[in-house]
Amino acid sequence: MKLRLSTGPHYLSRENTQTLMLDVLIALVPTTAAGIYLFGTQAAWVLAVAVASAVVCEFLFQKLAKRPVRIMDLSAVVTGLILGLNLPSDAPLWLPAIGSAIAVLLVKELFGGLGHNFMNPAMLARGILLASWPARMSVYLMPARVLGTTNVVPAGADAVSAATALIRPQGYEVYDLLLGNIPGTIGEVCKIAILIGFLYMLFVGTVTWHIPVVFVGTVAVFTWLIGGDPLKAVLSGGLLFGAIFMATDYVTNPMLKVGQIIFALGCGILVSVIRLTRAYPEGVTYAILLMNILTPLIDRLTTRKVYGTVKKHA
Amino acid sequence: MKLSFKGGIHPLKELHEGKHSTQNKPIRELIPEKVCIQMDMHIGAPSEPIVKKGDRVLLGQVIANPVGGIGIPVHASVSGEVTGLVTRQQLGKKPSMCVEITNDGLDEWAELSPLGEVESAPADKIIAQVKAAGICGMGGACFPTHIKMTVPEGKKVDTVILNGAECETFLTADHQLMLEQPGKIVDGLRAIMRAMKVATGIIAIEDNKMDAVKAITEAAKGREGVQVAVLKTKYPQGGEKQLIEAITKRQVPSGGLPSDAGCAVFNVGTAAAIADAVTKDQPLISRVTTVTGSVKEPSNLRVRIGTSFQDAIDFAGGFSEEPGKIFAGGSMTGIAIPDTSVNLSKANNGIVVQNLKEAKVAEPTPCIRCARCIQACPVKLNPQRLKELCDMADLAEAKKKHVMECIVCGACSYVCPAKLELSPTFKEAKEKITARRI
Repeated sequence: MKLRLSTGPHYLSRENTQTLMLDVLIALVPTTAAGIYLFGTQAAWVLAVAVASAVVCEFLFQKLAKRPVRIMDLSAVVTGLILGLNLPSDAPLWLPAIGSAIAVLLVKELFGGLGHNFMNPAMLARGILLASWPARMSVYLMPARVLGTTNVVPAGADAVSAATALIRPQGYEVYDLLLGNIPGTIGEVCKIAILIGFLYMLFVGTVTWHIPVVFVGTVAVFTWLIGGDPLKAVLSGGLLFGAIFMATDYVTNPMLKVGQIIFALGCGILVSVIRLTRAYPEGVTYAILLMNILTPLIDRLTTRKVYGTVKKHA
Repeated sequence: MKLSFKGGIHPLKELHEGKHSTQNKPIRELIPEKVCIQMDMHIGAPSEPIVKKGDRVLLGQVIANPVGGIGIPVHASVSGEVTGLVTRQQLGKKPSMCVEITNDGLDEWAELSPLGEVESAPADKIIAQVKAAGICGMGGACFPTHIKMTVPEGKKVDTVILNGAECETFLTADHQLMLEQPGKIVDGLRAIMRAMKVATGIIAIEDNKMDAVKAITEAAKGREGVQVAVLKTKYPQGGEKQLIEAITKRQVPSGGLPSDAGCAVFNVGTAAAIADAVTKDQPLISRVTTVTGSVKEPSNLRVRIGTSFQDAIDFAGGFSEEPGKIFAGGSMTGIAIPDTSVNLSKANNGIVVQNLKEAKVAEPTPCIRCARCIQACPVKLNPQRLKELCDMADLAEAKKKHVMECIVCGACSYVCPAKLELSPTFKEAKEKITARRI
């Protein structure tokens, strides 16, 4: 009889990186399904290429670098899918392919792989695509189909590009903003689907409410202060998708709750300022990236009181 | 509202904390043919054996005298013949000196001189009686109890807490003892309160043992200053510092003792042993331990101190499948044993057998900074950062970040999705820092 000797704990939680990533993927199912329904098969192709490119790039890099191949942890799938959902549905397929390659190779693997990237891979890849092909990236296509009954006329087969709903939110009913009958990227338009995903992640404990709620709340308050319509500001752009699926990326946000709240406040203020100055119609990408960069600093400056480091009981 | 501390986890929640198979199983007594009693099971200098091979000893007879300021005597846990003084590997780092006694099956007691009922026994003699009975903390630490009962000069203790939380996974020994002998536990608490001149005694039990809460509450009726506190089921609720925080909202200062927070904490099993020592003068010769996991008949056993793990496992029906790992204690902090010839000490509250599959070690993967360890830490450390520092061998910085406050409860390791060895790393770091005086 040979007994294994090791220190406790001798049973570990069933949760591992793969199950966490799987939960994020499950949470993305409604959004993905809504995106494909609204925008048609072209959207499905964009998503498929984005995911495939991310996984293949990660596999090849890890093979060539002689590192353990970790594609089964599903983190590359999550990165690819999130990037794809951030693209317009009529993107030429080289765009998701290049975007995922940038996300996985440049942002993640070159900085040491999972856990070591200092910016959200999908987010930075989107930022780079936006800066490199602004015309391609700033096209906000009207969905080919509509969800529910509405006054909005679907674009049909001859999809026409429109300005993002952010530019003219008053043109849309809250109902259409929630269901996704607005121009935008594949994943950002259907807010109901995004919120279902958020509820799922809260329920299984993938994320806590802190970052999404503070982030979105800050934007709402800011918009209200400058006389805008907070509800439409929250529902019209990529804010909800970014706040729920991208700002909550473990690797690139602070570890302590108080740090996470500072991070989310910063994101909210930056989005509001960028939207206000209209430098870009959409500020979520750059807001999150800037706060990603500040994360190590926030982590350094936030601490909590360790047990027992108090004065003696009298 | 149920009392609790901040942080913590609920390990093996889906498996009922692993306690299901022994819960509410009556305590069975195991009398072994042979015992091998360690001289150094308690914290403090090892005791000095006063018997030699061939001596006949009686049950409860002193076989080793205490050495040094915090030592305690050791007693024969069976009557019979001393068949050897041996050095054997036990759960400690180095092999231990042990006295081996072959049981004659008579259970013939040595002469006993009880102090009387706990309410009338002379209060100033109780602590000496506890020391003479060889009692040490039965919750796992084995710290000599008479020292804990002696309040240091200049400190004031106003609350005695009995720890019946049993937050560790798999263990049901304390639970069953509370169900079967609640009166004895309350007696023990009263003896401690009288000896320490403390007016308030609180018996703390987690809310997954409401039957024990009921039994103890019943037994505590009409007893002076005795209260029952219901705690939230959470690990490590039974950690001394967490228990004090949950009940009194006070914290034990860094480097301090419970008395610095005005408290003294004892395990419920220890209290029962104190009651036996005071009312019957029976020394600590047996204890309740849970034998569970891959055994045919998971059981709560009353075992004599010095019984071998093999005997205890056999008494629980033997292995039900090939064992991969066996540990003494619950799954969070239990100590893995090299083989089953190891003997039970006064601190052994459980034996858990894992099969080959359960014994497999999970492969660590990169940290994804999910912060689960931070949420879990009952001491509010940042395990993620500390692990980085320890891996870089920057122990001075780790000390600055309070690694010495780590209670090595294992909560961070348990929740880590990357399966990183967090708490073992901190245990090692603490030992290195102490040894190298960093």
